[in-house]
Amino acid sequence: MSYDQKNIRNFSIIAHIDHGKSTLADRLLEATRTVAVRDMESQLLDNMDLERERGITIKARAVRLDYTAKNGEQYVLNLIDTPGHVDFNYEVSRSLNACDGALLVVDSTQGIEAQTLANAYLAIDADLEMVPVINKIDLPSAQVDRVRKEIEDVIGIPAEDCPAVSAKTGLNIDDVLEAVVNELPAPEGDPDAPLACLIFDSYYDSYLGVVVYIRVKEGTIREGDRVLMMATGAEFEIVEVGTMEPFGLKRSGVLSAGEVGYITASIKNVRDTQVGDTVTHAERPVSKPLPGFRAVQSMVFAGIYPADGARYGDLRDALEKLRLNDAALNFEPETSAALGFGFRCGFLGLLHMEIIEERLEREFNFDLITTAPSVIYEVALKNGDVIRIDNPSNYPATDEIESAYEPMVKASVITPQEFVGGIMDLCQDRRGVFLDMKFIDSGRVELHYTLPLNEIIYDFFDALKSRSKGYASLDYEFKGYEKSDLVKLDFLLNGENVDALSFIVHETKAYGRARKIAEKLKDNIPRQLFEIPIQAAIGSRIIARETVKAMRKDVLAKCYGGDITRKKKLLEKQKEGKKKMRKLGSVEVSPEAFMAVLRLDEE
Amino acid sequence: MYFNSKSLGLYCHIPFCLSKCAYCDFCSVAGAGRRVKAQYLDALRKEMRIMGKKAEGYVVDSVFFGGGTPTSIGESELKRLIAELYDCFYVLDDAEFTVEANPATVNKRFANTLKECGVNRVSLGLQSAHANELKKLGRIHSLEDFEESYHLLRDAGIENINVDVMFGIPDQTAESFLNTLKYVVSLRPEHISAYGLQIEPGTPFFEHRDTLVLPGEDEEYSMYVYASEFLSENGYGHYEISNFALPGFECKHNKKYWNVDSYLGLGCAAHSLFGGERFGRCEDIQQYVSAIKHGALDSTVVSREVMTLEAMESEYVMLRMRLGEGVDKKAYKALFGFDFDSKYGSKLKNFVDGGFVISDDLSCRFTTDGMYVSNSVLSSILDL
Repeated sequence: MSYDQKNIRNFSIIAHIDHGKSTLADRLLEATRTVAVRDMESQLLDNMDLERERGITIKARAVRLDYTAKNGEQYVLNLIDTPGHVDFNYEVSRSLNACDGALLVVDSTQGIEAQTLANAYLAIDADLEMVPVINKIDLPSAQVDRVRKEIEDVIGIPAEDCPAVSAKTGLNIDDVLEAVVNELPAPEGDPDAPLACLIFDSYYDSYLGVVVYIRVKEGTIREGDRVLMMATGAEFEIVEVGTMEPFGLKRSGVLSAGEVGYITASIKNVRDTQVGDTVTHAERPVSKPLPGFRAVQSMVFAGIYPADGARYGDLRDALEKLRLNDAALNFEPETSAALGFGFRCGFLGLLHMEIIEERLEREFNFDLITTAPSVIYEVALKNGDVIRIDNPSNYPATDEIESAYEPMVKASVITPQEFVGGIMDLCQDRRGVFLDMKFIDSGRVELHYTLPLNEIIYDFFDALKSRSKGYASLDYEFKGYEKSDLVKLDFLLNGENVDALSFIVHETKAYGRARKIAEKLKDNIPRQLFEIPIQAAIGSRIIARETVKAMRKDVLAKCYGGDITRKKKLLEKQKEGKKKMRKLGSVEVSPEAFMAVLRLDEE
Repeated sequence: MYFNSKSLGLYCHIPFCLSKCAYCDFCSVAGAGRRVKAQYLDALRKEMRIMGKKAEGYVVDSVFFGGGTPTSIGESELKRLIAELYDCFYVLDDAEFTVEANPATVNKRFANTLKECGVNRVSLGLQSAHANELKKLGRIHSLEDFEESYHLLRDAGIENINVDVMFGIPDQTAESFLNTLKYVVSLRPEHISAYGLQIEPGTPFFEHRDTLVLPGEDEEYSMYVYASEFLSENGYGHYEISNFALPGFECKHNKKYWNVDSYLGLGCAAHSLFGGERFGRCEDIQQYVSAIKHGALDSTVVSREVMTLEAMESEYVMLRMRLGEGVDKKAYKALFGFDFDSKYGSKLKNFVDGGFVISDDLSCRFTTDGMYVSNSVLSSILDL
């Protein structure tokens, strides 16, 4: 189909997790016969195994739909999927910037949730037209009218005539397509102007190099063009230009203002194609890049070590492969006296961290040891320097510190009213400062708190879910650093500091946390030949102690009838087992025990 | 270990029992018919003839009939077997000749027969002096059976008796174990073996391991330490991890294992160290019988390891350390050409400091505490 800007619609679907975004996307693909029903694999846009299992979209995807509207005109609909988790907020905002409109999906049985709101605000920030889509109307508990009113009251967009559908059954899907064509605007932009394309996603393909998903805002991009990535400064010659079809890329040779598609340029590293960057012609660049780019910022850090120390090199290769596809993943080599060689990795958030761990384990077959996640602290030293700490081991001694600062977030929790008390207790317990509380409707409340990020990464989400029977939803945004009374908690086994166990914690929390971890160490460190004292310390002050008693049991095998081979095998097995052990100081601990100690399963 | 020594130990495996104990994973079957037994003993005698030829020039100074229950084949069969053995091997008159016996299988005639055949040492499996514990273990004898057998053997002139006891058995307490030991010591056997129960895969105990009430780690340890102290006080030297003996009654045959001396194992599942090789035969009785019937004794070997000097060295340390006397450093140097301490000194330091090992100019040996956790120590110092 020829280029006709007024018949293009670039849109996203945004929703709270589980409100049916991916299912709706599937139905749109079917309804436009982009995908034959028989080829339909549930949730086509989520193509990582992990995404399908977890039911969340991790990376943005895009697909082009051809639609003949009721007015007889042919339209090109570019559906740009967005990640559905707070960790990926920045990616969401870039994906939205590639669009001109958005469908805001709300579950008719649940109503507005924290991420519904957060995503709606992102769409408003990105100047998008929004059409609400009320989903799951096939369910008996659907309250379509209530949700329509809620959308109008809380978000302030008209919802009276918005589509009410069941993405599951396909009911009223045509209404959605008509709304996209009629309610969402066509893109603007001059095909002859200097080139400006927004990168909203990229991935590494072993044949094509990095495949970059772009939205052409101004100008026209062709194969053979010499282009410049404005933020990274990298220059490339375009090899392929085309569009995204559900089952692969389709080469078109050219893309013009308003269109969405992909480019390749034998790019080896996804870091050169950062999400949010502007692609322009090297010879005739735009005067300034598209607004809103920011380098991805890791919020959560952890040390990742191979359980088998010999696989350090493999782990580097694996992380590098993942980074090809994930510009938000950072890693640097680090050495721990306890764990050997590994990497300090930076993640967008806890979910991102879990995903990376899981992919390393599944796709690359690693057994990993991961240290407790940490955030970046800022420390002003007495000598006037300000340093940033992403690894507790590097935390300066107390007498060098003038003041310490920790990252804070503004958190919004939406919850049925009955759980408000419990959630306020939780926030209080996590050092939250109450900001305000609003009633969304008669039954639900939105709470705002300022919370330290390090409390959120410490199992806050699980605690929230358990206190609200799974009903409360959370969203948060980074707010800045605040002065805080932080201490570094060390653990000593046999009198030796085990660096991998150190973490930074608020003074008021130190005692409880120290006791808990000392107990966990006691329960998980297998008895050894020697008694092992466990101590938790702040500086030189011991604040908790436990003891692992000496081992009393060994196998006194009867060496019967001179079967020495069996005896030897037993010893060999024991020796083999020891090789897998990690030396924490002079104490041997299996990787499983180590992980059990570090697992964040409070409450 | 003497590389050119011509002395030899003989082990003879009888894989039959009257019934199978709940903890036993040794190669033995209960309820085998006469025919199976006859075929097996036939094959065993054939093996004796074959191996006897290979062992020409060797002097046998220890014989050990184990199982299974060697006495379960009946006195005439046992007699025939022993006669064959004397025929095929050169057995010294003063050789130590041990037969294992289940207390339920010994009567007066049997005791006398053993004596007549030249058996001079009998090992009786008591395991426990408490009826409830015996029952848990699946033993078929009572304490009275045991005591009767013991006296019958004494009456027949057996002057060297070993009694096996176990600790760590279900429902056992430190106190009940102590009572077992007291009882055994009151009989004054020359030798006592005290083994910790292990739950081995393939045994009824293993299947029901979740329902067993086993003594705790600390209690089991105190049983072991108590056994060592109590038996020492009563004149029994703790000469090997699990073995205690009155002076001069240490088991010669078992010491061959710990000394890396040559021994031949006859019968299915038997192990040998002979001609510079370790080898073990198949556990399957039928396979063993039919291989020998077809003149293919070699096909019953299921494991074989040529003993290099390195293997000898680490086995020597592994096995000698089981003995109370430990590794004699002079003998070690004579055998291997370098100092024990140059290889193990630094590896052992922690264990010496921790009170598990004593290492002085003459020898390196375990303390009682060390014996109990010997595997942990050995697996960390040995090249395996």
